[in-house]
Amino acid sequence: MPSKLARHRPRRFLRRVHTIVIMLRRLLPATPREWRTFLLGIAFASPWIIGFLGFTIFPVGSALYYSFTRYDLVRDPVWIGVQNYIAFADDADFRLVAGNTLWWVLLSSPLGVLSAFLMALLLNSRIIFRSFFRAIFFFPAIVPVVVTAFVWIFLLNIQYGAVNSTLQAWGLKTVPFISSPKLMKWSLVVIHMWSQGAAMVIFLATLQDVPKSLYEAATVDGANAFRRMWNITIPMVSPIILFNLVMSFISGFQYFTLPWIMTQGGPSRSAEFYAIYLYRNAFQWFRMGKASALAWVLFLLILLFTYLIFRTSGRFVYYAGATR
Amino acid sequence: MTSKLTRRGFLNLATATAGLTALAACVPAPSGQAAPEEEGVTVQFWIFWNQPGRIADQIMADPNLPDYMGDNTLEFRTGVANEARLAAVAGGTPPDIGALGYYLDFMARDVVVEVTDYVAASSVINEEDYIATNWQQTHYEGVQKGVPAIEGFVRRGFFYNARMVSDAGLDPDVPPVTWDEAMVWHKTLTQFDDTGNLLQIGLDPYDAEGGVGPGNDGWGIADSFGFHYFDEETKEFNLDNEEFAEGLEVWGDFIRLIGPDNLVGMRAVEGQGTWGGAFNAEVQACIVEGYWMSGETYNEVPDVAEHLRVSWTPVPERRRGVKLQQGGGHMVQMFRDGTYKDEAWPVAEWLQSDYWCDQIFHNIGWLPSYKPYIDNAPRDLFPGLEFIFDSVAEANYWGPQIRCEIEDFVRVKYGEFREAVYRDQISGAEAVAQMQELCTKEYQAAGFA
Repeated sequence: MPSKLARHRPRRFLRRVHTIVIMLRRLLPATPREWRTFLLGIAFASPWIIGFLGFTIFPVGSALYYSFTRYDLVRDPVWIGVQNYIAFADDADFRLVAGNTLWWVLLSSPLGVLSAFLMALLLNSRIIFRSFFRAIFFFPAIVPVVVTAFVWIFLLNIQYGAVNSTLQAWGLKTVPFISSPKLMKWSLVVIHMWSQGAAMVIFLATLQDVPKSLYEAATVDGANAFRRMWNITIPMVSPIILFNLVMSFISGFQYFTLPWIMTQGGPSRSAEFYAIYLYRNAFQWFRMGKASALAWVLFLLILLFTYLIFRTSGRFVYYAGATR
Repeated sequence: MTSKLTRRGFLNLATATAGLTALAACVPAPSGQAAPEEEGVTVQFWIFWNQPGRIADQIMADPNLPDYMGDNTLEFRTGVANEARLAAVAGGTPPDIGALGYYLDFMARDVVVEVTDYVAASSVINEEDYIATNWQQTHYEGVQKGVPAIEGFVRRGFFYNARMVSDAGLDPDVPPVTWDEAMVWHKTLTQFDDTGNLLQIGLDPYDAEGGVGPGNDGWGIADSFGFHYFDEETKEFNLDNEEFAEGLEVWGDFIRLIGPDNLVGMRAVEGQGTWGGAFNAEVQACIVEGYWMSGETYNEVPDVAEHLRVSWTPVPERRRGVKLQQGGGHMVQMFRDGTYKDEAWPVAEWLQSDYWCDQIFHNIGWLPSYKPYIDNAPRDLFPGLEFIFDSVAEANYWGPQIRCEIEDFVRVKYGEFREAVYRDQISGAEAVAQMQELCTKEYQAAGFA
């Protein structure tokens, strides 16, 4: 004889279906007048809807299909099931670029956020020429990445770079910032930390929003500068730390332009990141099927990381206005 | 009676206009079966190089061009970026005719059309008028799918800066013919300051043509050390061989002396690009390059060209006496999805004309593989060019032209593994063994095995 709980299950399911039907009925128009308004709204939104379907949903769907095929852009795709995905397990290149990319994401993202936060703190304090410095610190955010890459090449090149030329002029040994596999990724981290203007501005706006009364109360209670920072500033900006961290993780997984322009993933493949490998497969080796599989794995990885961050964010993010 | 435009009326009108505009945009473009037009059609001709773009106006001013094109118009596009080429081909909107690189890829994937009938009917294009290697390159599995054009003379020469060589106390009249002798030059010419910073290098064997992987221009290391990396008949790789391993070690020694970290910086000398830039900036004394080195150096850095000399590409001691040369080069192909094939064919013939070849040769330094032009071209127009012309007859070993459908993959892996060798991460023998395994696997995965 079925238990009481089991007997209730179908009823509960039917109730849920009924609720969904009612919700849909509420969403959809009922009268001819409502239908007209509804269709007019759709017509107005149609440029975006068409663009979204044509330029986002369709390519994403196509990529999913191609990821199960052997496709070289020119010949018709051949269905090979999940072979592209299975092959990653035995792909040394995949392991290398995945390792490089994880290194990059796990190091550059927190350091980038830290750098943006510190710059914002500095520029939030009372210093002379504050507006000028704010503009200067924000400047890297509006410089095209290609220009950034060339500027840094001209600074760091071992032979003619400004930094090494200076070292050479002083009779010192030059440093292979971007030509040594050991230093290349670290040089990219420095460049990444330098170009945090956009994140810095968001931090700055948030810092200016922290109520002064909190600091005053803490000062009265005898809190020193460090305690005020730790117990007031950081909790109050923690939602922005989360936001910048998530954005940085997402862009970190897709990191391409700078290492590609500077060294094409070299030296010795030290800066060969996931997106570069994806590009090579798609546009150098005509392996569009494999490249699509790589893109989907990347998407799932980003999704997983973002989910994990949000799941754990409750421990370090404080929402002042949140109701629990 | 007055008519008033209501809000609803306006919205209905706007929606209808938008709908009609969208429908109008969906009208299909003219297909390949376009109705004949009295004023002719526009033929699209694309190439991937930038250099001809500088003289495009001069090129298009050819008074004989209308004789080739008739009523049709030629649209000439240069410097077509890699992604743009591939996107056009994959999207079914390629040019009618062009030199877009990826020649073998396009042939193997039936992207380009067979030109046998066009060639048979042509009075300009005949097999005996071309350097044999270049002619063979236009065939895939016995079918001709291109015509040698634009640039296609011989690819190997050991070029050196006689002033730098003399300054280092070496005799510029006795250039090295083996890699051991080249190493002596390299050691003498490579200079460091007191703190160990690199000032000048003798030879980077991986620079320019020396460093190219398998493709249209043969394969530098394979030609010099004497191995065939792929068997077209059996479709099997022969990368795991002693000669290749030896080559990686021997050339690796040149880089080890410079310092691998220094190499990257020295290649990218300011404003000179990475291909041969260090030589043009006179911080590198020797380079393995193609014939174009003479003309390009003369046109781009005439001060350096004054000191330019050329000799045979070095070989290992066991091959002493080998006078190495390699054919190969470029071609134009007509694309399957191109709109006007018959109208595009005359472009292939025009590219063999004296006017076109003169423009390219005199202003850029390039020569075609078309013998009627080469045989009458001024042999001493640029420094060192005469040696190159003579080398065609004097060479006693011509590097093989091997067709492997995944040569781009092999090329990239070659770049990775040679670096791993000169950075002492793996030995030459290990590198070639791993390349063999990887390339075999990729060949199967790409569906060619």
